[in-house]
Amino acid sequence: MKIKSKLIIFNLITRLLVILVFWLVLPVLVQKVIYRDINKSLVEKKQKFLEHLDKEEINDFMLRNDTTETYASFSTLHSEFLQLSRLPVPFQDKKTVFVDEPRIIEGEQDDYRILKYQFLYEKMTYELEIGSNLAEIKELTFIIRIFVFIVLFFASAVVFALDAFFIEYLFKPFYKIIDTKIRRVHEPETFDHTSINSTTTDFRELDTVLNQMMNRISELFKKEKQFIANVSHELLTPIALMKNKFENLLQNQSLDDDAMDKIVSSLRNLDMLKKIINNLLLISKIDNNQYASNETIDLYPLLYDLVDDLSDRMDDKNIHIDLALQHHYECDGNKTLLHILLYNLMVNAIKYNKSEGSIICKDGYVDEVYFLSIADTGIGMNEAQIGQIFDRFTRINTTEEGHGLGLAIVGSVAAFHQIKIEVTSKINEGTTFVLYFPIKST
Amino acid sequence: MNIIIVEDNQELATEIRDFLSKNRYRCTIANNGAAALEEVAAMDYDVMLLDLGLPDGDGFEILKAIRKSKSRMAVIVITARGELDDKVNGLQLGADDYMTKPFSLTELNARLFAVVRRLHGFVLNELEIHGIVLQLQDYKVSYQGNTISLTKKEFDIFQYLVLNKDRVITRLQLTEHIWGDVLELNSDSNFIDVHVRNLRKKLDKFVAIDWFETVRNVGYRINS
Repeated sequence: MKIKSKLIIFNLITRLLVILVFWLVLPVLVQKVIYRDINKSLVEKKQKFLEHLDKEEINDFMLRNDTTETYASFSTLHSEFLQLSRLPVPFQDKKTVFVDEPRIIEGEQDDYRILKYQFLYEKMTYELEIGSNLAEIKELTFIIRIFVFIVLFFASAVVFALDAFFIEYLFKPFYKIIDTKIRRVHEPETFDHTSINSTTTDFRELDTVLNQMMNRISELFKKEKQFIANVSHELLTPIALMKNKFENLLQNQSLDDDAMDKIVSSLRNLDMLKKIINNLLLISKIDNNQYASNETIDLYPLLYDLVDDLSDRMDDKNIHIDLALQHHYECDGNKTLLHILLYNLMVNAIKYNKSEGSIICKDGYVDEVYFLSIADTGIGMNEAQIGQIFDRFTRINTTEEGHGLGLAIVGSVAAFHQIKIEVTSKINEGTTFVLYFPIKST
Repeated sequence: MNIIIVEDNQELATEIRDFLSKNRYRCTIANNGAAALEEVAAMDYDVMLLDLGLPDGDGFEILKAIRKSKSRMAVIVITARGELDDKVNGLQLGADDYMTKPFSLTELNARLFAVVRRLHGFVLNELEIHGIVLQLQDYKVSYQGNTISLTKKEFDIFQYLVLNKDRVITRLQLTEHIWGDVLELNSDSNFIDVHVRNLRKKLDKFVAIDWFETVRNVGYRINS
């Protein structure tokens, strides 16, 4: 997951948590605050009531309530009530208490916050109850809860959007570095050295370090390229000279047979030297990324032409080829190199085959990955040999001539094209090379 | 036919000149780019053999200069770099052919023949040897009007030997000509021998002479 997605998700979760916590805690908090307020006002009322209390008033209260020893009064909307009652029990010094109790007033039951207070007046115990209706309070709490929730929700949404926008903006240089710089490490020549425009010092530092690294890499690439060019020139020119001298010498009519043999043998050795140098240079150049890979190559005609080209060599060993490709797979890369890769594999399949043997070429798709397999019925290899075949100068079969570079080239070309090679082999039964081509990015 | 050899290695240039001189070509050697341009300005040349790695700069610059001058001279580029982008570049800039060092002198001879033939507007369309005619345009061979059916490879071998007649052509040279500069080692002998044997059989039916003198285990020669 990308950093920016992670940050955005984290933000989202924290916002939701905050809202959830508020939703749960708010009623408790509101209740606490409101209850304190109600308590305070009830105490004030009690104070006021007691201040004005005298005999007359009590009697006045009591008179109106003829039968019972209780006096009650309430506001018209039942939001508050006051009740004074004479208790038959002796006075116990009780503190003021607050309770939540339901009361029925004029046939309507409501929850009330009630202050209870007992006091002694002229040797009589009275209990004073002052109540405040809680229904409204509950309604109010609910409204506050909803209101706070909505406000929080919208505030969070706005902040979240701002965050997302800012994160996107903040990470833009970072993704630009990845897209335009790191992904192109393999092509130092096309590397973009312009520095990234960002006020974030971390990214600027990353960019600078990357640029420095790429400068070093392209310097090395350039040096190696120069070295390869020099080696080619310095080694191949004397070979060319010797080769041409021998060729001219060969036309000399006065040469005896022995001299002729020696010249031809020298020419053959020179040819070998040339091929080894060319093969090594080829590997270096592939590894040094000196080949363009902007061609689209249909493997079908490439392989059919190749087989046609090699037909006389197969005829020579009476090798039967079973070539039936099902697809016209188009590979992105370098045609010359792919030709060399297939050529080397085919030549190996012929060279290490038995006489009257066969070569089977197949293709297809495994999990959307295109594969091409070349199987021979040749001498085969053991596990240890398979592990070495792509190393330079490894020769599996010493009776066959070769310099052990053919498969090293195959390895390099495959790596260049991101082709995965799978080799299976059984001694005296044959070897199968399977090439898995990369899935194309569209 | 005048040829200018632009090559900084004097010895190599001399070998090429010695070989080509025996083949009715008049050769001049220039060891650097400046000398080559001077020479070209002073005299008419038909073909230039141009080495890209010159001491006084890139051979491509010379190629460009020549093509700018609207000279009809054919240019065969020679390089030791063997770089494929050179090949593309060279042909795009107007090189007529391209050879990689080290090359065979007999191969150079065959390429020169093709270049010169093109230079003269394909006037020469036939080669003749012992009454057998090679029609170069459609790869056909005939004897007194009778077509001799040859495979493409047989034709190529025959033509190569005819172009280099009276010379010993090694199996290696023939292999290189037919299959190109293949990268594997032991790419010689057998296959060439099979083709030559078949070719000989086909030609013998019409003109029964010792067509291809087998020179010990070296190679073949067509005698004129």
